[in-house]
Amino acid sequence: MADTLNIGGHELGSRLLLGTGKFSDVLTMIEAVKASGSELVTVALRRFNRAQAEDDLYGPLSELENVRLMPNTSGAMNAKEAVRAALLGRELSKSPFVKLEIHPNPHHLLPDPIETYAAAIELVKQDFLVLPYIPADPVLAKRLEDIGCAAVMPLGAAIGTGKGLSTAEMIKIIIRDSNIPVIVDAGLRAPSEAACALEMGCDAVLVNSAIAAADHPSAMAAAFATGVKAGRAAYLAGLIPRSEIASASSPLTSFLSASDD
Amino acid sequence: MELTVNGKQHEHHGNGSVAALLTEIGAVNDRTALMVNGKVVPSNIWENTLLRANDEVEVLVFVGGG
Repeated sequence: MADTLNIGGHELGSRLLLGTGKFSDVLTMIEAVKASGSELVTVALRRFNRAQAEDDLYGPLSELENVRLMPNTSGAMNAKEAVRAALLGRELSKSPFVKLEIHPNPHHLLPDPIETYAAAIELVKQDFLVLPYIPADPVLAKRLEDIGCAAVMPLGAAIGTGKGLSTAEMIKIIIRDSNIPVIVDAGLRAPSEAACALEMGCDAVLVNSAIAAADHPSAMAAAFATGVKAGRAAYLAGLIPRSEIASASSPLTSFLSASDD
Repeated sequence: MELTVNGKQHEHHGNGSVAALLTEIGAVNDRTALMVNGKVVPSNIWENTLLRANDEVEVLVFVGGG
């Protein structure tokens, strides 16, 4: 049976979700999406500006097969604005997915858990598949599951910092208690960290900066895809437990030092 | 008719429908989402939705985002 990721009844063949921000141009972004194999990519909403009309990426993205859009609520300062952004995103994308993100402080971009929870309640009511970007807080994650979120997306580290899985211990608790997909979102810098997240039992990772700002974005996208696949395969294969006591992998018969006497 | 479009004053010269405004400002219909006075207006009623003077219109498009 194929190992697919199920988010709210939608089967995805890839466990790498891709953000489309920070790319130098639309073509580079499209090439990276293709190389990543991602089937769910995030987009943001901004005010229309005639002078920047050629930067529209909806057309090129919607031409990709097997790629679904997940509008985010970036820019929302509170629950009310996030709900409004989600409605606009759905109107445009016709996608049921929404990445709910409310991070009012530009200095650290950490999610506001209270506004996020309030917005999630409203968006679930309005039949969205809600994927909230949250602090790596097991209590909050469980509460969001209880109200009907389709997945939770705890941060590995602050957005764009590349500090990796700095919240690993909390994420492990979230995974242990969760009945919905756990997707590490933000902070990842290297494919090895994505592999690590999947080995821990995360269901997927969402990566943007590490790919978009790499010297060669599509090559980095392919590297992340490989990391994600390796991590998932290792998780399914079953990692051995850690041990404080050494355990030899070769026979310890002491024939080399044995006396001939 | 005076409107506020994306936070700026805008003098509309068309028939006053949402669709006419979008054409006027050069927005591509199927790539645009729209809100009037804080309320989302779905694209299937743009032709028949008439704006009133001083309405606040937000016209949004998708851009790259994580």
